[in-house]
This record gives sequence, C-alpha cells and structure tokens, in this order.
Amino acid sequence: MDKMDKDVDLVVLGAGPAGVNAAITANRHGLKVVLVDQNHAAGGQVFRPMPETFTPSGGSAAPGEGDELRQRLARSQVRVYFNHTVWNVSTDLRVDAVGPDGPVHWRCRALVVASGTTERVVPFPGWTLPNVMGLAAATILLKSQKMLPGADTLVAGCGPLLTAVAAGIVDGGGRVAALVDAAPRSAWLKASPAMVSRPDLMWQGVKWLAQIKTAGIPIFSAHAIEKVEAVDGRLRATLAPVDSDRRIGGGERHAVHADAVVVGNGLVPGTDVTRLLRAEHTFNRKLGGWVAVTDEYCRTSVPGLYAAGDGCGISGAAAAIHHGELAGLAVAHDLGSLDEHSFEREAAAVQRRLSKARRFGQAMGALMALPSRQVETIAPDTVVCRCEDVTRAEIDAAVAGGARDMNQLKAWTRCGMGPCQGRSCGDVAAELAALKAGCGRSEVGFFTGRAPLRPVSLEQLTGDYDYADIPLPKAAPL
Amino acid sequence: MTSTLDVVNPADRPFDAAVIGAGVMGCSTAFHLAQGGMKVALIDRGQLCREASGVNAGTLTLHMTRAALVPYAMKAWEMWMTAEQWLGAGVLATHVPGLTLAFTEAECEMLEQRAAARREYGANINILTPQQALEAEPGLNPRLLKAAHCDIDGFATAYLTGRAFRQGLDAQQVALYENLPVEAVDRRNGVFRISCRGGRVLHARRIVLAGGVWIEPMLAWLGVRIPIKTLINQLSITERMRPVMRTVMSVANGLLSLKQFANGTILIGGGWQGIGDRERGGVEAIPENLIGNMRLARYVVPAMSEGRIARIWLGLEAETADAMPIIGDVPGVEDAYVVGSAHSGYTSGPFMGKIIAQYILGRQPEMPLFDPARLLSRHPGNEEA
Amino acid sequence: MRITKGVTRGEPVSFTFNGVRYSGYAGESVAAALFASGMAHLRDSPRSHQPRGMFCLMGSCQECLVWVNGRKVPACQQPLVESLQVSSISTEAP
Repeated sequence: MDKMDKDVDLVVLGAGPAGVNAAITANRHGLKVVLVDQNHAAGGQVFRPMPETFTPSGGSAAPGEGDELRQRLARSQVRVYFNHTVWNVSTDLRVDAVGPDGPVHWRCRALVVASGTTERVVPFPGWTLPNVMGLAAATILLKSQKMLPGADTLVAGCGPLLTAVAAGIVDGGGRVAALVDAAPRSAWLKASPAMVSRPDLMWQGVKWLAQIKTAGIPIFSAHAIEKVEAVDGRLRATLAPVDSDRRIGGGERHAVHADAVVVGNGLVPGTDVTRLLRAEHTFNRKLGGWVAVTDEYCRTSVPGLYAAGDGCGISGAAAAIHHGELAGLAVAHDLGSLDEHSFEREAAAVQRRLSKARRFGQAMGALMALPSRQVETIAPDTVVCRCEDVTRAEIDAAVAGGARDMNQLKAWTRCGMGPCQGRSCGDVAAELAALKAGCGRSEVGFFTGRAPLRPVSLEQLTGDYDYADIPLPKAAPL
Repeated sequence: MTSTLDVVNPADRPFDAAVIGAGVMGCSTAFHLAQGGMKVALIDRGQLCREASGVNAGTLTLHMTRAALVPYAMKAWEMWMTAEQWLGAGVLATHVPGLTLAFTEAECEMLEQRAAARREYGANINILTPQQALEAEPGLNPRLLKAAHCDIDGFATAYLTGRAFRQGLDAQQVALYENLPVEAVDRRNGVFRISCRGGRVLHARRIVLAGGVWIEPMLAWLGVRIPIKTLINQLSITERMRPVMRTVMSVANGLLSLKQFANGTILIGGGWQGIGDRERGGVEAIPENLIGNMRLARYVVPAMSEGRIARIWLGLEAETADAMPIIGDVPGVEDAYVVGSAHSGYTSGPFMGKIIAQYILGRQPEMPLFDPARLLSRHPGNEEA
Repeated sequence: MRITKGVTRGEPVSFTFNGVRYSGYAGESVAAALFASGMAHLRDSPRSHQPRGMFCLMGSCQECLVWVNGRKVPACQQPLVESLQVSSISTEAP
C-alpha cells in the first residue's frame, strides 16, 4: 500500500522555530526523528523561506534567522519530509501523510505538534473581496514571494504586525494608503514588533516607525474598517472609530481608496491535531483562544503527545525556539535517552530563556487578543463562514433556535463544514455564539477535531489498486 | 428566549411520559405522544440529534434495510419525504432511485438473495443488466456485473434532523431538557423518579428509553439485561464536486453507500469500522478502513478520484443479537417502554417513534412491534422479568 | 507588484490559467503570479456566488483553490513551472 518509514522515535509536525528546535534537540540526544512540513523548506510563518529558485541579492551580508535555522537543521540527522501534508494522527501515534510520491505513514513513540497559528480576521462587509487579504498573509507575500499587496495598500487591524507590514510595503517601494489600528494611540509604541522577537531588535522597530512617519502615512488609532466596497476597479474602505472593546461606534467616518486591503486581528493557536487526539484544552483569551493543556515540559494530556510553540499560546518566535528545545528534551527524557539529572539541568536552563522570551512575546500576544465584545458590531448580513457563506444573522438565528455549542451550530448552519474546516471562522463564530447564548466561550466549546487535518484528494489517498486489493470486511446482515 | 419548561411542568405534576434519548426515535416518540394529547418531557445528556441521528449517512433505502423491516422503512420513507407537512420542517429528503451493485460472482449471488428477500416484504426491486445500470447511472464503473434497482429510495441530510425536530417538538409543546444526563430511574407509587446530574429530578407516569446504543445501560437502570452491540461506523464526505451520480448506490456486500447531495458533496459510508465504544463514543478512524472504503467508492464511480475528502467522522450504531429492533414494553416493568437499536435505524426512525407512541397512547400500532422480551439474556439479574 | 530590491528571481516562465497565457517566475506561487498579473478574482463562493481570491497565503483558508493536473490545490501552495496549466474552480468544475 503506502510507504512506511520504519524505525522512528519521534515525529515532529511543523518546521517552524519550535518544531525545528524540538527535532534537533531530540536528535542530538540520540533519537531518530522525522520532521514533516507542508512547505518546501523549514521556517514556518515567521521565518518563511523564499522559493528555492529565488536568491537574496545586493549586499545583505549576514544570514537571517531563518537561514540559520535551516542550516542547523541541514547539519542534523533529522529526516525531513517537506511538501508533505499530514492528514491523520491516531492515538497509537501512527501519522499518515501525503506527499509528492503518494501516501506515507510513520509509527512513532512520541509526537511533537508545533504547527503554529492561523490568522484571525474579524469580518466586515467586503472582507471576502479579491484584493483583501490577511495581515500575516501580507507578511508572507512580502517576505516570501517578494511582492507588494498593491500599489497603494490599506493596512488595518491590531497588534505588532501592523508596523511590520506597513514598513515592509514602504521598504518594497509601495505606498500605504493608511494604517488603521484598533488600539488607541497610547498603546502605539507597545505595538513595535521588536518586542515580539527580541529587545535587541528594538532598533528595527524604531526604524520601521520612522519609515512610516517619514512616508507621511496617515495613522488612524482606535479605528477599524466598517466596510470595504469594490469601486471602479479599486477598493473603497470606510473607517469608523472603535471603543475600548474595539466595537464600531458612532462618530466620523473616513473613506480611504486603495488597491488592496490587508487586515488582521491577531493569531489563533492551531489545535487541529490536539483536538483530533482529544487532548484536554483550555480557553485562554490572552494566549489567543483554545489551547491544549500542557505541563511545564510540553506534555499534553494524551500520552506521547507534546505541543510546543505558538500553537500552545501566542508567545512569539523567540519563545517558540526555546519551547521547542524544551519539548525535545522532554521527549528524549521520556523515551529514556536522557537521564533524569541531565534532563533537569538542561531543561532548567532552557526554561529560564523561555520565561524571559515569553514575557515580551505574551505581552504582544495579549495586544492581539480578541476582546469578547468586539464581535457585537459585526453587521448581520456579513459573511462569517467564508467557505459556506454563512452570515452572522444565520448564526444568531441558530443559537436563538436552540443550538448551544459549536457542533450543534455547525449542524444547523453548515458553518465550519467547508474546505477550511473551521479554521478561518471558528474563533469569531464561537464568540458570536457565546454572545447570543449569553454564556462564556468555554460553554460553547469548539468544533470536534476530525481527520483529515487538511482536505486530501481521494486519488492521492487511494493510489493504484484493483478490486481484489480492497480489504473487504464482513458483509452486512441480510 | 422563553422556555417551555415552566409552562408544562409545574412543580408537583408529573409528566404523562418522559422520553430519555433525543435521537430520531426519541424525538418522534415524544412528538407523537404530545400530538396524542400527553404532556411529554424529552431528556438528553447532550443536544438533540447529535449522536447517530445527526451523523449517519442519511440513506433512505430498502436495499440495505433488514428484509423484515422493509414495510417499516417504506412507511418511514413517506414520513421523511413529507416531513415539512407533519413535522413542520424537513431534512432535505430527496427521492432518487437506489441501485445496489455486484462486481464479483459472489456479490451477484448476494444481490439476488437480498433482492428476493426484500421483494417478499413488499419492496419493488428489479434486477438490471450492466447496460441498464449504466443507463440509470452513467458514471458507474463498466466492469459492473449486475445491479438491482429500486424506485423507492433516496437520502436525507442527517445533520438537519435536530433542527427539524426542534421546531416540531416546540410546536407540540414538548418540554425539552438538553445537556441533562440521567443517572438513575426508580419507580414509586406509580410514578417514575428520573434523577439527573446536578440533583435535578423529573417525574413521569411513563418512561420511554430511546437511547440507541445506550439502551443497554438504560435498561440496566430498571434491572433488565439486554446486550446491545455498538458498531463504530466511519463516514466521510467530499468537498463540492460536479454531478457524478444521480442515484443512491450500495454494493451487494453492504460495504458501500454513496450519494451526492444537491450541494455537490458526496457522502461515503458502508459501515467500515473505526475505534470507539459506548463510553467514549467514536474516538478515531482506522486509516486502512478509511482507505478501503474510499477505494471501493472510487472503484464504483471512477470520477470520485477528482474529489477531496473534507471530513471524516464516526457514528455509533446499535445492533441487537438478532439484528432486529427492540420496540415495546420493557420486560417486567409497568409503564416503561423502549424504542430503538434498529440497525439502519435512521431510515425507519420516524415511523418507529410513531408506532410506539400509538401503543403507549392505547391505540393499535400500525405495524407489529418488536418484543424486547425475546432478547433477555439468561442472566441472574433478569429473574424478575 | 513585484519587489526587485534585494532579490534575484528564478527563470521567467509562462503558464496558462483557463487557457489564457500568463507569465511569472519559476518557483513563485501560482496565486502570487496571477495576483501580480492583475488576476485576483480566482473563483466564486459556492452559495452566494461572490468573487473570491487568495486570502491567508498559508494553505489554510482554501479560498485560492485551483485545478492543476486534475487535482484541486491551493494556488498559494503551488509553485510555478514552465507551461503549467491551471484552471479555475467553477460551477461546472467545483
């Protein structure tokens, strides 16, 4: 049937800073490690590589952090499976994936999930139009595809990515039509992305802010996009003031014309794998929403399953590095490759670095958290579930009609049944459901985790076979 | 949102009937009892129709229904197709013909046997040549050997069942108690005390156990032992696809169900087993069984290879020792009834609820019930039965 | 809208989208190449038939799905090679 890579101690899902460091650390302690990622190279989102065919040019001397990560990985004995998409993980730690050569699976003794986050965008009329994209999406376009979102781009949302994207656009030769921040001006300086990664990059943040000011970009603090409309081949955004809960209120509207709108309201930890394996989860607004419960050594409530990085709670790239190292140490120890004493000593050192990095990272993460009342002002006919065109009004009607948790909501509206499997809409839809039901986020829960972790083609899954190859179980009773 | 609870259940008046288990059988029972004039409570440990009734393949077929249940399935088919009228809301029940298919000699034999057995019970099933089958279903693999055709077939969108029944139950003023697990039931002075989690106690003159695979532990509350096997069925659904089929299809060995909904998504079923149990529910799929099921689907309709699987899930199906339902009096306990464990119970569900309700209301049920007493295990605990 | 500062791209390639020829660079994502050519509208949403294009750029949202070699893939995850034939998701080929 499919290929199996035998003799694997640890499978790591996700080759971002957490995953790579978990893999390298475990491998350094003698474990046979497989690292899987759907991208063509390591780096995750924050250190996303350019296409293999692109090369940096023109005098940027030192390799970036991403290059350094990729080089350390290449020097290790970790077996990498890039361009592979994992579609299932079983509780006996069998991992199934599809890649360019067809299906493959591994059986391992431990699994580290380090699959990062997805972006949260609070819907507004027009958010689904072409030329409207996410804020984190814009960083991928800029850094990895070396492309501007448009000639003149509106940058909106909240959090440290705003300045990074605006500056990145200016640096790339583009124009920023306006920078729209839901946070008030007093929180402005804290939004410097340098705080997310490391204090020693503070100069980078200052430079970005200076670029933005020099370029004369209009900055709207305590504002958000009320709607976007396609007008004469461009986009017209209407900006409105927001209150401290980021709800759109009365007050003066501003119209901004642009070729592209990039908008993001924070990051949501990815819990596809931990939900699939029924690990225990907890809702933590500051950490980005639902996260798997982990002990101080990255262990989830499922034996053999570990989680590290932003997927455990938004803590930033620097923290992800150390969190990954910690997971690698924990796996090495738990599988018997690292003695108790050495483990405690090494883990303590990593935990000190982790705590320090987390202080900044989680402070920035908190700025990206979704205030529970922000969704109040989403207009009723706004699409919330993009895949199935389910509007806020339909969600509200289902809750009013008796749907009391996310799975019932899904059954009654199809919200979450589309190809994105609830990743784009789940957080906002749950906030709306809780609001309408008059209860907390914990009560409405989350979509039950199911395979496939990403849509997978029947052709890839089934391969080449004859009828006789199908292992038929016993026939049904007469 | 106002609750019907305060209106229907003043503190000391017991309900005329309490139905425990809000799947299709329980919902239909409660609905028909209320329609017959009773004050009814419907209790579920979760939300209504979220177990088998909300997650099954929605096949409304006679091909794969137990032969003896064909007359019941035909009545239920009529109810599903007209749900907007009697229930007030529908489940997008769609009438299309059903084909069951044979690709090997052994399957041809099974096909003829199944068709004959069902014809005996009233199903109008005729045998087709491969050419005739391909005319009815052009997307079929031409290596088909034989097919059986039934005009009365079709499918429903199972996940709409809860919402549809919710409207009907509200209209009949059934008191719905969701997220309220029942922990114990005892009977005093002709009234059942239903003790629920959190100390809540409901009282009713009659109880109906409608808990699907959980009927076995429910009967145990009353000291009755009837073993019920729990099947863990795997199902999967594709993303939207271009129209590649127009009938409901099955394979003669019973191991495939295939249908395409109006929105283009295709549901693949067939009873391939996953991992789970009554206590934990459906835990996870078995990859080899998923791939086997999908291979069968792709073999039968080659165009399936264009599709992407969007979701895989599990549903629990109940099966008694003789694969027939248990519908009737709980052996040895007055005013206690049970309805369920029908294997392919969704197909016949609304009708089964109707006939047990008729029985409880003191009327002649439209079709014979299925006496639970036949299944009593020879266990010391059943002495009183 | 390609940035030229600080990067040397791979070979220029041509590809087709619904039979129309476009140009891009080897390794660039199909989504980005179409976007740079002004083709931002990739498909329509299935229920309300509203125009959609790339959104998350990380293979999660599934908004940028296209057909490549008989398979449905997110355009943001599909690198360009010479003569790649891409077609759009449509009502006829959802």
